[in-house]
Amino acid sequence: MTSTTPVSALGRQKRRGSTTAARSGMWAGILFVLPMLVLFVIFRFVPSLGAIGMSLTDYKLSGDYSVVWFDNYTRMLADDVFLGALTTTLVYAAIYVPLVVVVSMVTALVLNRLVWGTGFFRGALFLPYVTSFVLAAVIWLWIFASDGLVNGLLTEAGVDPYPFLTGNQAQVLTSLAVVSAWRGFGYSMLILLAGLKNIPEDLLESATLDGANATQRFFRIVLPLLRPVVFFVLVIETIAAFQVFDTIYVMTGGGPSRASYSLVYALYDQGFKFFDFGYAAAIGVAIFLLVFVISLIQRRFLDRSNT
Amino acid sequence: MTATLTRPGTETNGAPATARRRRRNRIRPGTILVASLLAFGTIVPFLAVFILALSPEGARTIPFQLPDEWTFDNLIAVLTARNFLRWTLNTTIYSIVSVVLVLITAAMAGYAFAKKRFPGREIMFWSFLATLMVPTQATIIPLFVLVARLEGIDTFWGLIVPTLANSQAVFLMRQFIMGLPDELFEAAKIDGAREWSIFWRIVLPLTTPILATLGIFVFLWHWNDFLWPLIIAQTDEMRTLTVGLASLNQEAVSQARLMAAAAITVIPCLVVFAVLQRYIVNSVAASGIKG
Repeated sequence: MTSTTPVSALGRQKRRGSTTAARSGMWAGILFVLPMLVLFVIFRFVPSLGAIGMSLTDYKLSGDYSVVWFDNYTRMLADDVFLGALTTTLVYAAIYVPLVVVVSMVTALVLNRLVWGTGFFRGALFLPYVTSFVLAAVIWLWIFASDGLVNGLLTEAGVDPYPFLTGNQAQVLTSLAVVSAWRGFGYSMLILLAGLKNIPEDLLESATLDGANATQRFFRIVLPLLRPVVFFVLVIETIAAFQVFDTIYVMTGGGPSRASYSLVYALYDQGFKFFDFGYAAAIGVAIFLLVFVISLIQRRFLDRSNT
Repeated sequence: MTATLTRPGTETNGAPATARRRRRNRIRPGTILVASLLAFGTIVPFLAVFILALSPEGARTIPFQLPDEWTFDNLIAVLTARNFLRWTLNTTIYSIVSVVLVLITAAMAGYAFAKKRFPGREIMFWSFLATLMVPTQATIIPLFVLVARLEGIDTFWGLIVPTLANSQAVFLMRQFIMGLPDELFEAAKIDGAREWSIFWRIVLPLTTPILATLGIFVFLWHWNDFLWPLIIAQTDEMRTLTVGLASLNQEAVSQARLMAAAAITVIPCLVVFAVLQRYIVNSVAASGIKG
Protein backbone atom coordinates (compact mmCIF):
# COMPACT_ATOMS: atom_id res chain seq x y z
CA MET A 1 0.00 0.00 0.00
CA THR A 2 1.63 3.22 -1.10
CA SER A 3 -0.70 5.21 1.09
CA THR A 4 1.45 4.38 4.11
CA THR A 5 4.61 6.00 2.73
CA PRO A 6 5.32 9.21 4.57
CA VAL A 7 4.94 12.48 2.70
CA SER A 8 8.05 14.55 2.35
CA ALA A 9 9.21 17.30 0.06
CA LEU A 10 10.87 14.62 -2.01
CA GLY A 11 7.90 12.32 -1.90
CA ARG A 12 6.37 13.81 -5.01
CA GLN A 13 8.01 11.41 -7.41
CA LYS A 14 6.67 8.50 -5.45
CA ARG A 15 3.20 9.94 -5.57
CA ARG A 16 3.30 10.42 -9.30
CA GLY A 17 3.59 6.68 -9.64
CA SER A 18 0.89 6.01 -7.10
CA THR A 19 -1.71 3.35 -7.48
CA THR A 20 -5.33 4.03 -8.20
CA ALA A 21 -6.10 3.11 -4.60
CA ALA A 22 -4.00 5.98 -3.32
CA ARG A 23 -5.51 8.35 -5.85
CA SER A 24 -9.02 7.36 -4.84
CA GLY A 25 -7.85 7.90 -1.24
CA MET A 26 -6.90 11.43 -2.24
CA TRP A 27 -10.31 12.10 -3.71
CA ALA A 28 -11.99 10.59 -0.67
CA GLY A 29 -9.89 12.89 1.52
CA ILE A 30 -10.98 15.94 -0.45
CA LEU A 31 -14.62 14.91 -0.37
CA PHE A 32 -14.51 14.22 3.37
CA VAL A 33 -12.96 17.56 4.19
CA LEU A 34 -15.18 19.45 1.74
CA PRO A 35 -18.23 20.18 3.95
CA MET A 36 -16.08 21.62 6.75
CA LEU A 37 -13.93 23.47 4.22
CA VAL A 38 -16.98 25.12 2.69
CA LEU A 39 -18.23 26.11 6.16
CA PHE A 40 -14.85 27.57 7.09
CA VAL A 41 -14.41 29.47 3.85
CA ILE A 42 -17.89 31.01 3.94
CA PHE A 43 -18.34 31.60 7.66
CA ARG A 44 -14.77 32.12 8.93
CA PHE A 45 -12.35 33.17 6.20
CA VAL A 46 -14.69 35.42 4.22
CA PRO A 47 -15.92 37.29 7.33
CA SER A 48 -12.33 37.65 8.60
CA LEU A 49 -11.25 39.33 5.38
CA GLY A 50 -14.64 41.02 5.24
CA ALA A 51 -14.05 42.60 8.64
CA ILE A 52 -10.91 44.28 7.34
CA GLY A 53 -12.53 45.27 4.06
CA MET A 54 -15.68 46.55 5.72
CA SER A 55 -13.70 48.56 8.27
CA LEU A 56 -12.33 50.60 5.36
CA THR A 57 -15.84 51.58 4.21
CA ASP A 58 -18.88 53.37 5.59
CA TYR A 59 -21.04 50.25 5.04
CA LYS A 60 -24.66 50.98 5.94
CA LEU A 61 -27.64 48.77 6.71
CA SER A 62 -28.94 49.24 3.17
CA GLY A 63 -25.76 47.74 1.74
CA ASP A 64 -24.63 51.05 0.24
CA TYR A 65 -21.05 51.95 0.92
CA SER A 66 -18.12 53.95 -0.27
CA VAL A 67 -14.49 53.35 0.55
CA VAL A 68 -13.31 55.74 3.24
CA TRP A 69 -9.90 54.07 3.87
CA PHE A 70 -8.73 54.71 7.41
CA ASP A 71 -11.44 57.18 8.41
CA ASN A 72 -13.05 54.69 10.79
CA TYR A 73 -9.73 54.15 12.55
CA THR A 74 -8.89 57.85 12.85
CA ARG A 75 -12.44 58.43 14.07
CA MET A 76 -11.92 55.70 16.66
CA LEU A 77 -8.82 57.36 18.06
CA ALA A 78 -10.74 60.60 18.56
CA ASP A 79 -13.97 58.97 19.76
CA ASP A 80 -14.40 59.44 23.50
CA VAL A 81 -17.00 56.67 23.60
CA PHE A 82 -14.60 54.18 22.01
CA LEU A 83 -11.64 55.31 24.10
CA GLY A 84 -13.83 55.11 27.19
CA ALA A 85 -14.85 51.57 26.22
CA LEU A 86 -11.18 50.67 25.76
CA THR A 87 -10.28 51.99 29.22
CA THR A 88 -13.32 50.29 30.74
CA THR A 89 -12.32 46.97 29.18
CA LEU A 90 -8.72 47.31 30.37
CA VAL A 91 -9.88 48.16 33.91
CA TYR A 92 -12.31 45.24 33.80
CA ALA A 93 -9.54 42.88 32.66
CA ALA A 94 -7.27 44.20 35.41
CA ILE A 95 -9.95 43.27 37.97
CA TYR A 96 -11.28 40.07 36.39
CA VAL A 97 -8.05 38.27 35.45
CA PRO A 98 -6.35 38.32 38.89
CA LEU A 99 -9.69 37.52 40.54
CA VAL A 100 -10.48 34.50 38.39
CA VAL A 101 -6.91 33.18 38.47
CA VAL A 102 -6.74 33.42 42.27
CA VAL A 103 -10.18 31.83 42.69
CA SER A 104 -9.34 28.96 40.34
CA MET A 105 -5.94 28.46 41.99
CA VAL A 106 -7.42 28.39 45.50
CA THR A 107 -10.20 25.99 44.51
CA ALA A 108 -7.73 23.78 42.62
CA LEU A 109 -5.43 23.66 45.66
CA VAL A 110 -8.36 22.79 47.92
CA LEU A 111 -9.53 20.04 45.55
CA ASN A 112 -5.99 18.71 45.31
CA ARG A 113 -5.76 18.40 49.11
CA LEU A 114 -9.09 16.60 49.38
CA VAL A 115 -8.92 12.89 50.01
CA TRP A 116 -12.63 12.38 50.57
CA GLY A 117 -15.57 13.55 48.46
CA THR A 118 -13.29 14.66 45.61
CA GLY A 119 -15.79 13.81 42.88
CA PHE A 120 -18.62 15.64 44.57
CA PHE A 121 -16.70 18.81 45.32
CA ARG A 122 -15.10 18.92 41.88
CA GLY A 123 -18.52 18.65 40.28
CA ALA A 124 -20.11 21.17 42.64
CA LEU A 125 -17.42 23.77 41.98
CA PHE A 126 -17.54 23.22 38.22
CA LEU A 127 -21.35 23.50 38.16
CA PRO A 128 -21.66 27.22 37.21
CA TYR A 129 -19.49 26.62 34.15
CA VAL A 130 -22.16 24.51 32.44
CA THR A 131 -24.74 27.31 32.66
CA SER A 132 -25.03 30.53 30.68
CA PHE A 133 -23.67 33.96 31.50
CA VAL A 134 -27.21 35.24 31.08
CA LEU A 135 -28.44 32.93 33.82
CA ALA A 136 -25.53 33.88 36.09
CA ALA A 137 -26.36 37.54 35.45
CA VAL A 138 -30.04 37.04 36.33
CA ILE A 139 -29.14 35.27 39.58
CA TRP A 140 -26.56 37.87 40.60
CA LEU A 141 -28.91 40.74 39.76
CA TRP A 142 -31.08 39.37 42.56
CA ILE A 143 -28.07 39.02 44.87
CA PHE A 144 -26.75 42.52 44.06
CA ALA A 145 -30.01 44.52 43.77
CA SER A 146 -30.53 47.49 46.07
CA ASP A 147 -33.31 45.46 47.72
CA GLY A 148 -31.58 42.15 46.92
CA LEU A 149 -30.04 39.40 48.98
CA VAL A 150 -26.84 41.06 50.17
CA ASN A 151 -28.28 44.52 50.65
CA GLY A 152 -31.32 43.02 52.35
CA LEU A 153 -29.03 41.38 54.87
CA LEU A 154 -26.97 44.57 55.24
CA THR A 155 -30.10 46.63 55.89
CA GLU A 156 -31.23 44.03 58.41
CA ALA A 157 -27.87 44.43 60.14
CA GLY A 158 -28.25 48.20 60.08
CA VAL A 159 -25.52 48.78 57.48
CA ASP A 160 -26.01 51.09 54.47
CA PRO A 161 -26.69 49.23 51.20
CA TYR A 162 -23.68 48.78 48.92
CA PRO A 163 -24.03 50.14 45.34
CA PHE A 164 -22.93 46.96 43.55
CA LEU A 165 -24.28 47.95 40.15
CA THR A 166 -25.02 51.64 40.66
CA GLY A 167 -21.80 52.92 42.18
CA ASN A 168 -18.62 54.19 40.58
CA GLN A 169 -16.80 52.40 37.78
CA ALA A 170 -14.53 50.36 40.05
CA GLN A 171 -17.51 49.12 42.07
CA VAL A 172 -19.63 48.21 39.05
CA LEU A 173 -16.80 46.52 37.16
CA THR A 174 -15.83 44.56 40.28
CA SER A 175 -19.41 43.33 40.64
CA LEU A 176 -19.47 42.27 36.99
CA ALA A 177 -16.06 40.59 37.33
CA VAL A 178 -17.36 38.64 40.32
CA VAL A 179 -20.30 37.36 38.25
CA SER A 180 -18.09 36.34 35.30
CA ALA A 181 -15.54 34.75 37.61
CA TRP A 182 -18.28 32.83 39.43
CA ARG A 183 -19.59 31.51 36.13
CA GLY A 184 -16.21 30.94 34.53
CA PHE A 185 -13.59 29.82 37.08
CA GLY A 186 -14.45 26.11 36.78
CA TYR A 187 -12.54 25.62 33.54
CA SER A 188 -9.30 27.20 34.78
CA MET A 189 -9.73 25.36 38.07
CA LEU A 190 -9.74 21.99 36.29
CA ILE A 191 -6.76 22.94 34.11
CA LEU A 192 -4.77 24.03 37.19
CA LEU A 193 -5.89 20.92 39.08
CA ALA A 194 -4.57 18.71 36.28
CA GLY A 195 -1.27 20.59 36.55
CA LEU A 196 -1.15 20.15 40.34
CA LYS A 197 -1.74 16.42 39.99
CA ASN A 198 1.40 16.21 37.86
CA ILE A 199 3.66 17.62 40.56
CA PRO A 200 5.56 14.71 42.10
CA GLU A 201 4.49 14.32 45.71
CA ASP A 202 8.00 13.22 46.73
CA LEU A 203 9.24 16.69 45.91
CA LEU A 204 6.76 18.31 48.27
CA GLU A 205 7.43 15.77 50.98
CA SER A 206 11.18 16.17 50.90
CA ALA A 207 10.62 19.93 51.09
CA THR A 208 8.44 19.38 54.15
CA LEU A 209 11.16 17.25 55.72
CA ASP A 210 13.61 20.06 55.02
CA GLY A 211 11.36 22.30 57.08
CA ALA A 212 9.53 24.24 54.33
CA ASN A 213 6.08 25.41 55.42
CA ALA A 214 2.97 25.38 53.20
CA THR A 215 3.52 28.93 51.91
CA GLN A 216 7.13 28.25 51.03
CA ARG A 217 6.19 24.98 49.33
CA PHE A 218 3.58 26.80 47.26
CA PHE A 219 5.77 29.70 46.13
CA ARG A 220 9.07 27.84 45.83
CA ILE A 221 7.96 24.52 44.35
CA VAL A 222 4.33 24.39 43.22
CA LEU A 223 4.13 27.75 41.46
CA PRO A 224 7.42 27.45 39.49
CA LEU A 225 6.47 23.95 38.31
CA LEU A 226 2.97 25.11 37.46
CA ARG A 227 4.13 28.20 35.57
CA PRO A 228 3.26 27.01 32.03
CA VAL A 229 -0.24 26.02 33.15
CA VAL A 230 -0.73 29.30 35.02
CA PHE A 231 0.26 31.24 31.93
CA PHE A 232 -2.09 29.22 29.75
CA VAL A 233 -4.88 30.11 32.19
CA LEU A 234 -3.77 33.78 32.21
CA VAL A 235 -3.92 33.94 28.41
CA ILE A 236 -7.37 32.38 28.03
CA GLU A 237 -8.84 34.42 30.89
CA THR A 238 -7.41 37.66 29.49
CA ILE A 239 -8.99 36.85 26.14
CA ALA A 240 -12.26 36.12 27.96
CA ALA A 241 -12.03 39.48 29.76
CA PHE A 242 -11.72 41.33 26.44
CA GLN A 243 -14.84 39.58 25.15
CA VAL A 244 -17.10 40.44 28.08
CA PHE A 245 -20.61 41.22 26.89
CA ASP A 246 -23.45 38.95 28.10
CA THR A 247 -23.28 39.89 31.79
CA ILE A 248 -23.03 43.60 30.97
CA TYR A 249 -25.95 43.42 28.55
CA VAL A 250 -28.18 41.82 31.18
CA MET A 251 -26.97 43.52 34.37
CA THR A 252 -26.12 47.13 33.57
CA GLY A 253 -26.71 47.79 29.86
CA GLY A 254 -23.29 49.44 29.84
CA GLY A 255 -24.24 51.84 32.64
CA PRO A 256 -24.50 53.63 34.93
CA SER A 257 -23.46 56.44 32.57
CA ARG A 258 -21.14 54.16 30.55
CA ALA A 259 -19.26 52.93 33.64
CA SER A 260 -19.43 49.37 32.26
CA TYR A 261 -19.49 50.14 28.54
CA SER A 262 -17.04 47.52 27.18
CA LEU A 263 -15.49 47.21 23.70
CA VAL A 264 -17.83 44.43 22.59
CA TYR A 265 -20.74 46.46 23.92
CA ALA A 266 -19.53 49.42 21.83
CA LEU A 267 -19.30 47.13 18.79
CA TYR A 268 -22.82 45.83 19.43
CA ASP A 269 -24.19 49.36 19.81
CA GLN A 270 -22.51 50.69 16.67
CA GLY A 271 -23.61 47.67 14.66
CA PHE A 272 -27.09 46.92 15.90
CA LYS A 273 -28.32 50.17 17.39
CA PHE A 274 -26.80 52.74 15.02
CA PHE A 275 -26.30 50.31 12.10
CA ASP A 276 -22.93 51.87 11.40
CA PHE A 277 -21.45 48.59 10.16
CA GLY A 278 -18.21 50.09 8.81
CA TYR A 279 -17.32 51.62 12.16
CA ALA A 280 -18.49 48.54 14.08
CA ALA A 281 -16.31 46.32 11.86
CA ALA A 282 -13.35 48.58 12.62
CA ILE A 283 -14.00 48.15 16.36
CA GLY A 284 -14.05 44.38 15.73
CA VAL A 285 -10.64 44.58 14.05
CA ALA A 286 -9.38 46.63 17.01
CA ILE A 287 -10.61 43.95 19.44
CA PHE A 288 -8.82 41.29 17.40
CA LEU A 289 -5.57 43.28 17.36
CA LEU A 290 -5.76 43.92 21.11
CA VAL A 291 -6.35 40.27 21.95
CA PHE A 292 -3.64 39.23 19.51
CA VAL A 293 -1.02 41.63 20.86
CA ILE A 294 -1.80 40.79 24.46
CA SER A 295 -1.55 37.05 23.87
CA LEU A 296 1.75 37.60 22.02
CA ILE A 297 3.12 39.58 24.94
CA GLN A 298 1.98 36.92 27.37
CA ARG A 299 3.46 34.16 25.23
CA ARG A 300 6.78 35.96 25.01
CA PHE A 301 6.74 36.39 28.78
CA LEU A 302 5.87 32.71 29.17
CA ASP A 303 8.77 31.61 26.96
CA ARG A 304 11.25 33.72 28.86
CA SER A 305 10.12 32.58 32.26
CA ASN A 306 10.21 29.01 31.04
CA THR A 307 13.96 29.01 30.41
CA MET B 1 -6.64 25.40 22.85
CA THR B 2 -5.14 22.21 24.13
CA ALA B 3 -2.71 22.26 26.94
CA THR B 4 -0.26 19.45 27.14
CA LEU B 5 -0.12 18.79 30.80
CA THR B 6 1.61 15.46 31.04
CA ARG B 7 4.67 15.26 33.14
CA PRO B 8 6.46 12.19 34.51
CA GLY B 9 4.43 10.69 37.34
CA THR B 10 5.40 9.84 40.84
CA GLU B 11 7.64 6.91 41.50
CA THR B 12 7.02 5.08 44.71
CA ASN B 13 10.00 3.86 46.64
CA GLY B 14 10.14 1.37 49.48
CA ALA B 15 10.28 2.30 53.13
CA PRO B 16 8.41 5.60 53.70
CA ALA B 17 5.59 4.49 51.41
CA THR B 18 3.31 3.19 54.17
CA ALA B 19 3.79 6.28 56.29
CA ARG B 20 3.08 8.41 53.28
CA ARG B 21 -0.01 6.43 52.44
CA ARG B 22 -1.27 6.90 55.97
CA ARG B 23 -0.70 10.63 55.68
CA ARG B 24 -2.36 10.75 52.32
CA ASN B 25 -5.44 8.84 53.41
CA ARG B 26 -5.94 10.96 56.49
CA ILE B 27 -9.27 12.73 56.12
CA ARG B 28 -8.58 16.42 56.42
CA PRO B 29 -11.58 18.03 58.13
CA GLY B 30 -10.25 21.56 57.58
CA THR B 31 -9.99 21.03 53.82
CA ILE B 32 -13.44 19.51 53.70
CA LEU B 33 -14.82 22.51 55.57
CA VAL B 34 -13.22 24.97 53.14
CA ALA B 35 -14.39 22.90 50.17
CA SER B 36 -17.92 22.86 51.61
CA LEU B 37 -17.94 26.63 51.96
CA LEU B 38 -16.78 27.04 48.36
CA ALA B 39 -19.34 24.52 47.10
CA PHE B 40 -21.97 26.39 49.10
CA GLY B 41 -21.12 29.44 47.02
CA THR B 42 -21.65 27.64 43.73
CA ILE B 43 -24.69 25.55 44.64
CA VAL B 44 -26.80 27.91 46.74
CA PRO B 45 -27.45 30.44 43.94
CA PHE B 46 -28.99 27.61 41.90
CA LEU B 47 -31.08 26.48 44.86
CA ALA B 48 -32.19 30.08 45.28
CA VAL B 49 -33.42 30.15 41.67
CA PHE B 50 -35.62 27.11 42.28
CA ILE B 51 -36.86 28.29 45.66
CA LEU B 52 -37.77 31.73 44.30
CA ALA B 53 -39.40 30.12 41.25
CA LEU B 54 -41.60 28.01 43.52
CA SER B 55 -42.45 30.86 45.90
CA PRO B 56 -45.70 32.83 45.48
CA GLU B 57 -45.33 36.12 43.63
CA GLY B 58 -44.44 38.95 45.96
CA ALA B 59 -43.44 36.60 48.77
CA ARG B 60 -40.86 38.00 51.15
CA THR B 61 -37.55 36.72 49.84
CA ILE B 62 -35.14 39.07 51.64
CA PRO B 63 -33.48 38.03 53.86
CA PHE B 64 -33.43 34.69 52.16
CA GLN B 65 -36.01 32.35 53.63
CA LEU B 66 -38.23 29.51 52.57
CA PRO B 67 -41.74 30.53 51.55
CA ASP B 68 -44.73 29.60 53.71
CA GLU B 69 -46.31 27.81 50.78
CA TRP B 70 -45.00 26.40 47.51
CA THR B 71 -46.60 27.06 44.16
CA PHE B 72 -46.22 26.06 40.53
CA ASP B 73 -48.09 29.19 39.39
CA ASN B 74 -44.95 30.99 38.24
CA LEU B 75 -43.71 28.06 36.21
CA ILE B 76 -47.12 27.59 34.59
CA ALA B 77 -47.46 31.32 33.94
CA VAL B 78 -44.06 31.48 32.29
CA LEU B 79 -44.61 28.38 30.19
CA THR B 80 -47.96 29.57 28.89
CA ALA B 81 -46.98 33.20 28.41
CA ARG B 82 -46.08 34.51 25.00
CA ASN B 83 -43.47 32.49 23.15
CA PHE B 84 -41.70 30.75 25.98
CA LEU B 85 -42.39 27.24 24.71
CA ARG B 86 -41.34 28.38 21.27
CA TRP B 87 -38.06 29.70 22.70
CA THR B 88 -37.50 26.34 24.35
CA LEU B 89 -38.14 24.59 21.04
CA ASN B 90 -35.82 26.99 19.20
CA THR B 91 -33.03 26.44 21.70
CA THR B 92 -33.50 22.67 21.47
CA ILE B 93 -33.35 22.76 17.68
CA TYR B 94 -30.37 25.13 17.72
CA SER B 95 -28.47 22.86 20.14
CA ILE B 96 -29.38 19.39 18.88
CA VAL B 97 -29.10 20.09 15.14
CA SER B 98 -25.78 21.87 15.69
CA VAL B 99 -24.43 18.95 17.71
CA VAL B 100 -25.35 16.41 15.01
CA LEU B 101 -23.99 18.50 12.14
CA VAL B 102 -20.78 19.51 13.93
CA LEU B 103 -20.07 15.90 14.90
CA ILE B 104 -20.58 14.58 11.36
CA THR B 105 -18.68 17.30 9.51
CA ALA B 106 -15.88 17.44 12.09
CA ALA B 107 -15.51 13.64 12.11
CA MET B 108 -15.33 13.63 8.31
CA ALA B 109 -12.75 16.42 8.24
CA GLY B 110 -10.81 14.89 11.13
CA TYR B 111 -10.70 11.54 9.34
CA ALA B 112 -9.47 13.18 6.14
CA PHE B 113 -6.82 15.21 7.96
CA ALA B 114 -5.65 12.20 9.96
CA LYS B 115 -5.69 9.37 7.44
CA LYS B 116 -5.96 10.74 3.90
CA ARG B 117 -3.38 12.47 1.81
CA PHE B 118 -4.49 15.23 -0.51
CA PRO B 119 -2.97 18.45 -1.82
CA GLY B 120 -3.22 21.41 0.56
CA ARG B 121 -3.95 19.23 3.57
CA GLU B 122 -1.49 20.82 5.97
CA ILE B 123 -2.16 24.43 5.04
CA MET B 124 -5.89 23.77 5.23
CA PHE B 125 -5.64 22.24 8.68
CA TRP B 126 -3.46 25.01 10.07
CA SER B 127 -5.62 27.74 8.59
CA PHE B 128 -8.62 26.10 10.31
CA LEU B 129 -6.70 26.23 13.58
CA ALA B 130 -5.63 29.82 12.98
CA THR B 131 -9.26 30.93 13.23
CA LEU B 132 -9.05 30.11 16.95
CA MET B 133 -6.99 33.30 17.25
CA VAL B 134 -9.84 35.42 15.93
CA PRO B 135 -12.47 36.17 18.57
CA THR B 136 -15.98 35.58 17.23
CA GLN B 137 -16.95 39.15 18.10
CA ALA B 138 -14.26 40.52 15.79
CA THR B 139 -15.97 39.08 12.72
CA ILE B 140 -19.57 39.18 13.88
CA ILE B 141 -20.48 42.30 11.86
CA PRO B 142 -19.41 40.95 8.43
CA LEU B 143 -20.85 37.56 9.39
CA PHE B 144 -24.18 39.18 10.18
CA VAL B 145 -24.15 41.15 6.91
CA LEU B 146 -23.29 37.95 5.01
CA VAL B 147 -26.11 35.98 6.62
CA ALA B 148 -28.47 38.93 6.02
CA ARG B 149 -27.51 39.01 2.31
CA LEU B 150 -28.22 35.27 2.12
CA GLU B 151 -31.60 35.98 3.75
CA GLY B 152 -30.73 33.97 6.84
CA ILE B 153 -31.98 36.46 9.44
CA ASP B 154 -34.78 34.95 11.56
CA THR B 155 -34.22 31.50 10.09
CA PHE B 156 -32.92 28.33 11.65
CA TRP B 157 -30.23 27.84 9.05
CA GLY B 158 -29.00 31.40 9.60
CA LEU B 159 -28.81 30.64 13.30
CA ILE B 160 -27.20 27.20 13.01
CA VAL B 161 -24.99 26.93 9.92
CA PRO B 162 -22.51 29.76 10.65
CA THR B 163 -21.75 28.20 14.06
CA LEU B 164 -20.73 24.85 12.57
CA ALA B 165 -17.24 25.90 11.45
CA ASN B 166 -15.71 24.66 14.69
CA SER B 167 -11.93 24.37 14.64
CA GLN B 168 -11.73 22.88 18.11
CA ALA B 169 -13.97 20.01 17.00
CA VAL B 170 -11.88 19.37 13.87
CA PHE B 171 -8.69 19.47 15.89
CA LEU B 172 -9.89 17.01 18.55
CA MET B 173 -11.30 14.61 15.93
CA ARG B 174 -8.04 14.66 13.97
CA GLN B 175 -5.94 14.03 17.08
CA PHE B 176 -8.14 11.15 18.12
CA ILE B 177 -8.29 9.48 14.69
CA MET B 178 -4.52 9.83 14.24
CA GLY B 179 -4.19 7.55 17.24
CA LEU B 180 -6.17 4.77 15.56
CA PRO B 181 -4.08 2.18 13.66
CA ASP B 182 -4.07 2.51 9.85
CA GLU B 183 -4.55 -1.25 9.51
CA LEU B 184 -8.17 -0.92 10.62
CA PHE B 185 -9.06 1.22 7.62
CA GLU B 186 -6.89 -0.67 5.17
CA ALA B 187 -8.33 -4.03 6.14
CA ALA B 188 -11.79 -2.69 5.45
CA LYS B 189 -10.63 -1.35 2.11
CA ILE B 190 -9.23 -4.75 1.14
CA ASP B 191 -12.58 -6.24 2.04
CA GLY B 192 -14.00 -3.96 -0.60
CA ALA B 193 -15.75 -1.47 1.64
CA ARG B 194 -16.41 1.90 0.05
CA GLU B 195 -14.98 5.03 1.71
CA TRP B 196 -18.39 6.16 2.85
CA SER B 197 -19.19 2.89 4.55
CA ILE B 198 -15.72 2.82 6.14
CA PHE B 199 -16.59 6.20 7.62
CA TRP B 200 -19.97 5.08 8.97
CA ARG B 201 -19.02 1.54 10.00
CA ILE B 202 -15.50 2.07 11.29
CA VAL B 203 -14.61 5.72 11.91
CA LEU B 204 -17.76 6.79 13.71
CA PRO B 205 -18.05 3.73 16.03
CA LEU B 206 -14.36 3.92 16.94
CA THR B 207 -14.54 7.61 17.76
CA THR B 208 -17.54 7.32 20.09
CA PRO B 209 -15.63 8.54 23.19
CA ILE B 210 -14.43 11.75 21.58
CA LEU B 211 -17.78 12.23 19.79
CA ALA B 212 -19.55 12.04 23.14
CA THR B 213 -17.20 14.56 24.74
CA LEU B 214 -17.51 16.95 21.82
CA GLY B 215 -21.26 16.46 21.66
CA ILE B 216 -21.73 17.47 25.29
CA PHE B 217 -19.62 20.58 24.93
CA VAL B 218 -21.16 21.65 21.62
CA PHE B 219 -24.59 21.16 23.19
CA LEU B 220 -23.79 23.27 26.26
CA TRP B 221 -22.08 25.88 24.14
CA HIS B 222 -25.15 26.32 21.92
CA TRP B 223 -27.65 26.08 24.75
CA ASN B 224 -25.85 28.89 26.58
CA ASP B 225 -24.93 30.97 23.52
CA PHE B 226 -26.14 34.56 23.59
CA LEU B 227 -24.67 37.17 21.22
CA TRP B 228 -25.22 35.27 17.97
CA PRO B 229 -28.89 34.35 18.65
CA LEU B 230 -29.41 37.89 19.94
CA ILE B 231 -28.55 39.44 16.59
CA ILE B 232 -29.89 36.71 14.31
CA ALA B 233 -33.30 36.38 15.99
CA GLN B 234 -35.01 39.68 15.29
CA THR B 235 -38.55 38.54 15.95
CA ASP B 236 -39.84 37.27 19.25
CA GLU B 237 -40.67 33.83 17.81
CA MET B 238 -37.09 33.14 16.75
CA ARG B 239 -35.49 33.91 20.10
CA THR B 240 -33.61 31.33 22.10
CA LEU B 241 -33.99 30.90 25.85
CA THR B 242 -30.96 33.00 26.78
CA VAL B 243 -32.17 35.87 24.61
CA GLY B 244 -35.72 35.41 25.88
CA LEU B 245 -34.55 35.40 29.49
CA ALA B 246 -32.61 38.62 28.90
CA SER B 247 -35.71 40.21 27.33
CA LEU B 248 -37.94 39.12 30.23
CA ASN B 249 -35.41 40.70 32.55
CA GLN B 250 -35.66 43.98 30.65
CA GLU B 251 -39.45 43.89 30.72
CA ALA B 252 -39.39 43.95 34.51
CA VAL B 253 -41.56 40.88 35.07
CA SER B 254 -41.85 39.93 38.72
CA GLN B 255 -38.87 38.35 40.44
CA ALA B 256 -40.75 35.07 40.87
CA ARG B 257 -41.64 34.88 37.14
CA LEU B 258 -38.09 35.74 36.09
CA MET B 259 -36.67 33.04 38.35
CA ALA B 260 -39.23 30.55 37.04
CA ALA B 261 -38.00 31.30 33.51
CA ALA B 262 -34.40 31.02 34.68
CA ALA B 263 -35.14 27.68 36.32
CA ILE B 264 -36.61 26.25 33.11
CA THR B 265 -33.62 27.49 31.08
CA VAL B 266 -31.09 25.88 33.36
CA ILE B 267 -32.78 22.50 33.94
CA PRO B 268 -31.38 20.83 30.77
CA CYS B 269 -27.84 21.95 31.65
CA LEU B 270 -28.23 20.64 35.18
CA VAL B 271 -29.62 17.31 33.95
CA VAL B 272 -26.81 16.89 31.42
CA PHE B 273 -24.30 17.77 34.09
CA ALA B 274 -25.82 15.54 36.77
CA VAL B 275 -25.74 12.54 34.46
CA LEU B 276 -22.37 13.15 32.80
CA GLN B 277 -20.54 15.10 35.51
CA ARG B 278 -17.52 12.85 35.95
CA TYR B 279 -17.18 12.50 32.20
CA ILE B 280 -17.35 16.26 31.51
CA VAL B 281 -14.89 17.10 34.26
CA ASN B 282 -12.42 14.44 33.12
CA SER B 283 -12.50 15.49 29.49
CA VAL B 284 -11.59 19.09 30.36
CA ALA B 285 -8.50 17.82 32.15
CA ALA B 286 -7.65 15.33 29.41
CA SER B 287 -8.21 17.34 26.25
CA GLY B 288 -8.40 20.96 27.37
CA ILE B 289 -11.76 21.25 25.58
CA LYS B 290 -13.38 24.59 26.32
CA GLY B 291 -17.14 24.97 26.31
